[in-house]
Amino acid sequence: MRSSLTPLGPPVSRDRIIATFPKLKEHFHGQVSAACQRRNTGTVGLNLSKVVVVGDLYVGKTSLIHRFCKNVFDRDYKATIGVDFEIERFEIAGIPYSLQIWDTAGQEKFKCIASAYYRGAQAIITAFDLTDMQTLEHTRQWLEDALRENEPGSCFVFLVGTKKDLLSGAACEQAEVEAVHLANEMQAEYWSVSAKTGENVKAFFLRVAALAFEQSVLQDLERRDSSRLQLGTGDLIRTLPETQESKRPSSLGCC
Amino acid sequence: MEEPPLREEEGEEEEEEGDEAGPEGALRKSPFQLTVEDVYDISYVVGRELMALGSDPRVTQLQFKIVRVLEMLETLVNEGNLAVEELRMERDNLRKEVERLRREGSAATREVNLGPEKMVVDLTDPNRPRFTLQELRDVLQERNKLKSQLLVVQEELQCYKSGLIPAREGPGGRREKDTLVARANNASSNREEKTIIRKLFSFRSGKQT
Repeated sequence: MRSSLTPLGPPVSRDRIIATFPKLKEHFHGQVSAACQRRNTGTVGLNLSKVVVVGDLYVGKTSLIHRFCKNVFDRDYKATIGVDFEIERFEIAGIPYSLQIWDTAGQEKFKCIASAYYRGAQAIITAFDLTDMQTLEHTRQWLEDALRENEPGSCFVFLVGTKKDLLSGAACEQAEVEAVHLANEMQAEYWSVSAKTGENVKAFFLRVAALAFEQSVLQDLERRDSSRLQLGTGDLIRTLPETQESKRPSSLGCC
Repeated sequence: MEEPPLREEEGEEEEEEGDEAGPEGALRKSPFQLTVEDVYDISYVVGRELMALGSDPRVTQLQFKIVRVLEMLETLVNEGNLAVEELRMERDNLRKEVERLRREGSAATREVNLGPEKMVVDLTDPNRPRFTLQELRDVLQERNKLKSQLLVVQEELQCYKSGLIPAREGPGGRREKDTLVARANNASSNREEKTIIRKLFSFRSGKQT
C-alpha cells in the first residue's frame, strides 16, 4: 500500500488508513482518485490541515479528541486552558495526510485567546451536549465566531452531539430532531458520538479527514491548473459544480 | 411685622423666649418658629381685644372669620411641626449612618472607589488572579511549540525504530533527519536560529497553521 513516493514520516497505524470514502458516498472525487493514483497530489501530503473544535464548556470537546487521538476516556472534568492541539496522521488513498486538531476552551474567559486560533480552519467542529439543549442553541454563536475568521465557504462544518451514552434511544432521537434541523440551517453535517463508549468517534474523524483531504487535493489541483492556464495551455475542463458539491456536503442525520 | 434676628435652623430652645414675653411675644415670632402654643397665645390676645370692642354684630361676624383663620393656622403649624420633627429624625439617622460608613471606610483603608467593571483582589489569596492575558498567550504558544516539537521528535524516533532512517550518525543520515524536522514544523535545534524559528512558529501555530 505504501508508495516509495511518500517518504515522509513513519508508517501510520493501520486504523488511520482510509482507502474508500467514509460515509455518504462510496468514492473519492474522480479528479482526486486520479491525482492520488498518479501520486500527483503536490504538497498535500506535507501540509497540516487545520480542524477547530468549538462549543460550550463541558460538552466534551477534549474528551472527543482524546478518545480519537489517544483512545482514552477520562471521567474527571478538567477545563481546557486557552487552546490545545493534537496532530493525527492518516494515509488517505495512499497519500499521507495530517490533521492538526485544535481543542479550544469553552469557558467564556478564554474566548479571546482561543478565537485567535480559528483562522485558516479547513473544518469547524461545533460540539454540543445531547443532554443539554442549551448547548445546542449556543453552537450558532460558536459557529458564527469561527466562520468570521475564515474565508466564506472555505470550511467544512460539523455539528456533533456528544455524550450519546447518557441518553436513551428515544431521548436521543428527540434531541437529534432539533440538532438535524439546526445542522441543516448551518449547512453542517450532523453526527452524534460518545467519547465514553467510543461510539462513532473514529468514523466521524475519518470522515472529517477524508473530506478535508479531498478538498486539499482539489484545491491543490486547481491552484496548479490555474497557474498552468496562465502559461497558456488552456485545454482544461473544470468541473466546478461537482467541486462545489463536494465542498458542501449535504446534511444528514445519522445513526 | 417684627422679626427676631435670624437664628441657626436648629433653634430648639426658641419657645423660652416666647414664654418670657408672655402671650404677646408669640406675635413677634418668626412664622417658621411658631408652635401650636403660640397660636393659642395669639388666639388669646386677639380674642381679648375683640371682647374689648363690645358686641357689635360686625365684630361678631369678624370674630367667626378670625376664629376660622386661627384654626387654619393651628392646623398648618401642627402639620409643619410634625414634618419638622420627622425630618429631624431622618437627619439624625442619616448622620449616624454617615458616621458609621466613615468609620468603616477608615477601618478598611485599602478599599478603593470601584467602578462597575472593577474587582477587588485579595492579595493574601494564593489563587488570586495575577497573570496577564498576554502572559497566558505567550505560555500557551510556548507550550504549543514544545508540543509540536515533541511530536516531531516522537515521529523521528519512530522513523529510526522502523528503520526508515538508518541509525548511523553519518553526515547523510544527519542531513536527512534535519530536513525532516525542518520540513515538519519549521523548527530547528540550531540555537542561533531559535528566535527566528520562534517567530515563524508562533505565526504558524498560533495564527495560521
